[in-house]
This record gives sequence, C-alpha cells and structure tokens, in this order.
Amino acid sequence: MHIPDGYLSPVISIGLGGATVPMWAIATQRVKRVLNNRTIPLLAIFAALSFTIMMFNVPVPGGTTAHGVGGTLIAIVLGPWAALIAVSTALIIQALFFGDGGVLAIFANCLNMGILLPFVGYATYRLLAGRAPLLSTRRVWAAAIGGYVGITVAALAVGVELGVEPIFFTQNGHALYSPYTLGQAVPAMLAAHAFGASIVEALITGLGVAYFQQRHPEYLASLRGIFAPDAAAEGESSPRPLWQLVLGAGGAAVLVVAVLGLLMGGGDPGHFYGADWSQVSWPDVGTMLLVVALIGLVLVPLAYLLLPRPAKRIGAAFTAISVVAPLGLIAPGFAYGEGSPQDVEAAFGYVPQGLQQLSGIFSAPLSGYNVPLPFFEGANAPLWHAAIGYEITGILGMLIVGGLSAAVARVLGGGRSAAPDQMGSTA
Amino acid sequence: MSGPAPGAAAAGRERRRGRIGWLEQTLAGITASIEHAVFTEQHARERGFLQARDPRAKLAIFLALVLAASLSGSITVLAGLYLVVLAAAGASHVPYRYFVKRVWLGIPLVAGIVVIPALFLVPGPRLFDLPAGPLHVAPSLPGVVGGVIFVARVGVSVSLALLLVMTTPWADLLKSLRALHVPQVFVLILSMTYRYIFLFLHTVNGVLQARKSRVVGRTSGAEQRRWISGTMGALVNRAFKMSNDVYAAMLARGFTGELRAYSTYRMRTTDWAVLAGSLTVAAVGVLAGPFLP
Repeated sequence: MHIPDGYLSPVISIGLGGATVPMWAIATQRVKRVLNNRTIPLLAIFAALSFTIMMFNVPVPGGTTAHGVGGTLIAIVLGPWAALIAVSTALIIQALFFGDGGVLAIFANCLNMGILLPFVGYATYRLLAGRAPLLSTRRVWAAAIGGYVGITVAALAVGVELGVEPIFFTQNGHALYSPYTLGQAVPAMLAAHAFGASIVEALITGLGVAYFQQRHPEYLASLRGIFAPDAAAEGESSPRPLWQLVLGAGGAAVLVVAVLGLLMGGGDPGHFYGADWSQVSWPDVGTMLLVVALIGLVLVPLAYLLLPRPAKRIGAAFTAISVVAPLGLIAPGFAYGEGSPQDVEAAFGYVPQGLQQLSGIFSAPLSGYNVPLPFFEGANAPLWHAAIGYEITGILGMLIVGGLSAAVARVLGGGRSAAPDQMGSTA
Repeated sequence: MSGPAPGAAAAGRERRRGRIGWLEQTLAGITASIEHAVFTEQHARERGFLQARDPRAKLAIFLALVLAASLSGSITVLAGLYLVVLAAAGASHVPYRYFVKRVWLGIPLVAGIVVIPALFLVPGPRLFDLPAGPLHVAPSLPGVVGGVIFVARVGVSVSLALLLVMTTPWADLLKSLRALHVPQVFVLILSMTYRYIFLFLHTVNGVLQARKSRVVGRTSGAEQRRWISGTMGALVNRAFKMSNDVYAAMLARGFTGELRAYSTYRMRTTDWAVLAGSLTVAAVGVLAGPFLP
C-alpha cells in the first residue's frame, strides 16, 4: 500500500500534509499526556512489529502493493493515537532505508495507513465489541472484522489518491504521474486487499488479540481505563457452542446473499441479482440438481479412493467444487465472470478497452465451458445435458492443470515425489 | 544390508538441504544483507564527500532534489539528476555496483509490475502489432513513454534516499530532524524502533539458526506451523520483557520524560556552497523540464 515518489504529484502528496501534520501534532500531545513514559518502549516495539509485517508485500498491477499493517491491533492495545505514531514511525524508516514508499509521499502513506486504517479499524472494533467482557471471544471477532474493514478503507483511499492523478495532471495526452483512472486503480487496490491482504490483516488482528487475551491480559486491561473507560469489567470468556456459531454464520451468509440480491435487483424479488427468474424452467432445474447430486455421490468418493495419498483430500475437495459448479447455469443471463463483452456492455453500459482486446483469449477449444457436441449444447438440449458438459470440461481442465503442475513440480524439484521411497529403502 | 554408498548419501543430503525451509533461507538472507548494509553504517563512517557535510544541509539537499525529480516529466532531467547522484556517490566512496544494483534490481519488481497494464491501457498509436489469433497485443507509444518516465522517477527518488542513509549515521539524521521541529518524543520513538528492528532481525536469525542446527531430516507441515507460532509467541514475550528492561534502564539513567540532545553541528562554508549548488541544480531541472524531451 506504500505509494512511492512519482506516483503522486507533489501538489497532492505535500497537500495531504495539511491533514497529516496536524494529526501528528495532536497524536504527539496525546501520547505524551495520556501514555506514561513506561509505554514509550512498548510503542517502539509495536512500531517494529508493524515494520516487520509490512515487509511482506506483493505488488498490485494498476495500484501499488498489498500487505498487512497491524495498525488496528496496535490501536486496540495502545489506542488509535499511539497507533498513528507507531505506524508512521515504521513508514518513515521504510521510506528512508528501504525505498519502500516515497519520502514526499510520506504524508499520503501516513494518512492511509497511519490515520485512516487504525481509526476506522478501532471504531469498527469498538462498535462490534460493545460492552463484551475483556476476555470474550466476541472481542476477537470484533478485532478481526475491525482489521479487515480498516485496511480495506485504507486501500480504497490509496485507489482514490492514485485515480485522481490522471484527471488533474496530463501532458500531451500521457499521464504525468500514476496513469490509472479511478475506474482502474480503485478496483485493483480493493480487489487485491479484500481477497488477500485484508484477510491477512484480519488474521493478524484477531489472532493478536486472542494472544493478548491468553498470555498478556494485563496489556488489554491496564490501558483500558484510558482508552475505553466505559468498557465492561474484565471477565472470563464463555465459549459459545459450535451449533450457535454455525447457525449464526449460515444465517449471516443467507442474509448477505439476500440483501445483495435485492439491492442488485432493485428491490424486486422476481429480479433477484438483476436477473429475470421467470425465464427459468424449474422442473428442468430439479432434474439438473438430481443429476448433479448423483454425479457428486459417485465422483467424490471415487476421487478420494483413486488419488494418491498426499492429494486425497485436496483432490476430493476440488472434485466436489467442480461437481457443484454447474449450479451457476440456473441463473438466467450471464453467470460468474464468464460474460462476453456484449454481456458486460449490457450490464455496465460500456466495455473496458483492455477487456475488448483480451476477450479473444477465451475463444478456446472448449468454448463456453461446454463440450462442442449437439448432445451438450444443442439449442433444445435440456439443462442437465449442459450441466454434464460443464462438468466434463471442468474435470478435464482440472486434470490438465493438475498434471501440468505436477510435471512442473517434478522438473523443478528434481524427482521430489520419488525421494521418500528412496529414503525409506536406504534407511 | 550395507549402508548406502557415500556418494548417494551426499547426494541425498544435498537434495534435502535444498528442500527444507526456503522461507528460513529467504529470511536469513534478508536479515543478513540488511544487517550488513544498513545497521553496520559501514559507509557512513568512511571519509567521503557527503559524509563530511552537515546532516541538516544533507537533509535539505535531499528534499530539494527529490522534489525536483518528482516535479519533472522529462527523461533528460531525470537522467541528469541520476548522473549528479552517481557523481556524489562516487565522491563519497559508495560502492557503485552495490548502489546501482540495489536500486535497479528492486525497482522493476515493484514499480515495473505496477506499470505494466498502463503500457497496454493508455490509448495512442501502437509501437507494433502482434496478432495472436483474434487478440492484438501491442504496447502504445504514450504508454511506454509514461511508463519509462514513471519508473525512472521512482528509481532516482529511491537512489537519493539510499544515498542519504548510506552516508549519514542514523543518529545524526535523527538530530537533523530536530531542525525541522519534529517533536522530541517522535524522534525518540524513531530511534528506539530502529534499534528494535535490528534486534528483532538478529534474534529471528539466531532462532532460525539454532533450529536448523538441531533438526535432522524433514518435519511435517503441522509441526512446522506449531513451531512457527510458538516462536512468534516467544518472540513477542521476549519483546515485552525487553520493553520493561529498557524502561528500567532509562529510569536508572535519570530519564524524566524530557529529552535533551547535544547539537554540535556547525554549517561550514563548504556546506553552504554545496547546499546552494544543489538548490540551483534542482531549480534548473524543474524550470528546464518543460523544454526538454
């Protein structure tokens, strides 16, 4: 998430200092007043921790990089103002010594990762944790979700900061700074975080709080009076029964699916997810479900029995996924990310230029993920024929990918899979 | 049953060594190189041109040149700035190969990957056309020009930062921050964090080596995960204990919450001259940029 120098115009990167510098001043004042001298070494340790977490990053094409930060965890233990200072410290050292993040861009980086991230994460945590006892499991979940939300908001901010560059700074038709528009930078950063770095951050924050609860509850308790005077008293955790968790998670998933579907369908249950469900012939769907269930009952145990031992579980899981995959065929319109450019145009009103160019790639032999035979894709073929075709291509594809990976692994690993036998015989 | 032939055993050992712990090896490599390059402050102690300058002047020069690099959209200006940086590095006895390699091997990894989609997304005349079936692969001219300037600017900025920290002891750099009115507490936390990072890396390296020298053969994935989580816990425990010790040591030496730093720097005539020269270079670069390619 570190923005290097050259991605932002100096006007914006220094202008953001107008937001960051006063916050630094307030944070320094508050840390001096509220935290006693004793916590200064602790603050430095957390800064070093954040530094270490941020070292493991991956570049994001169209954005900057994705990585965990640990800012929400620091905010939960030491408060958001201290987190601001700790993360900023780590960022300054990284910018100077490792060229990770720019020197002029330090204001922007500290605004995203040092201010937005811990404050949003901490606010979410406080909201979700409510007045739960200090050692309750609920606080662990609240921390994990807080970490996730905080870093995702920070990623959104990075996307916006990069995305406004070409609007203001363009010379002779080429962008002077980051060349990506809002429509490119924001989705790139959001996707890389929501499905990657944010999950890492959620794990760091949740597991971190769980660790503190178990090993160092005093760090959660001693500072609590300062940062959360209205929080409930310390208490023992009472583990929630598993069925409650499963039921809760299932209910939440159904609720999210339903709300999203209604939102996309404009509030009309007949147009769930924006698709016209009256076109679906439900007896056909029933037949298809039956066929899919039968195939699953045969294939999954078969895969488990036939596959070699190390690949048993993962292979069976992938088989199960490929068996359920054709359920997407039920939905009218385009399913998954497989829409052709025409579908995309109908849905969004325009076609991204890159997609138009790249779409040729997908005219592969098994086009549309179906077997090009009349039985499977004829105009009058019932839905379950198409489902079987879908499954055949899916399993074929997985076999090809798996075979290729195994071959590559064998070439790179120098006969890795043969080694255990050999060791066994020589022992 | 006789034992395996010595050659076979050696080959097996070789293979096993290549197999275990790429993560451990990467970590060890990273920490060793950081320790060597940064924390020893080996180059900052040499008697070179930049090392002799007042750290406050160096900080001002550095900020001015980074700003100039950031403002310029001209590849000529960026190349000129990089030549100035290289000359200064040479006069300061910074090893060229290391200095150039460290910047230009790292930059394409991050900035390069980030900029790749722009080569194809930016509209404009195409450099060439590679018809791959119905697909046309071709970077556009404005996309390539923008990408090159972009990567060059990042490279020059990173080179400047690297040159600053390689020729200035960290303690001096921190003291020069005081000239910018950065609060003392902030400077204190910065300096402690720097030491802790070094100490953490050192400890992790030690732990990894201790394990490596005691483990024979392969361990299961579950065992490795248990070991890593256990090590992380132990490391955090040790860090907290250390924070208490450090605080006790601070108290024992009379820490009252107020910080004082000696400032014995004096700007000499050479410092002023170098500062003025750099500001001129920066100003010329910014002003001439629009008239150059």
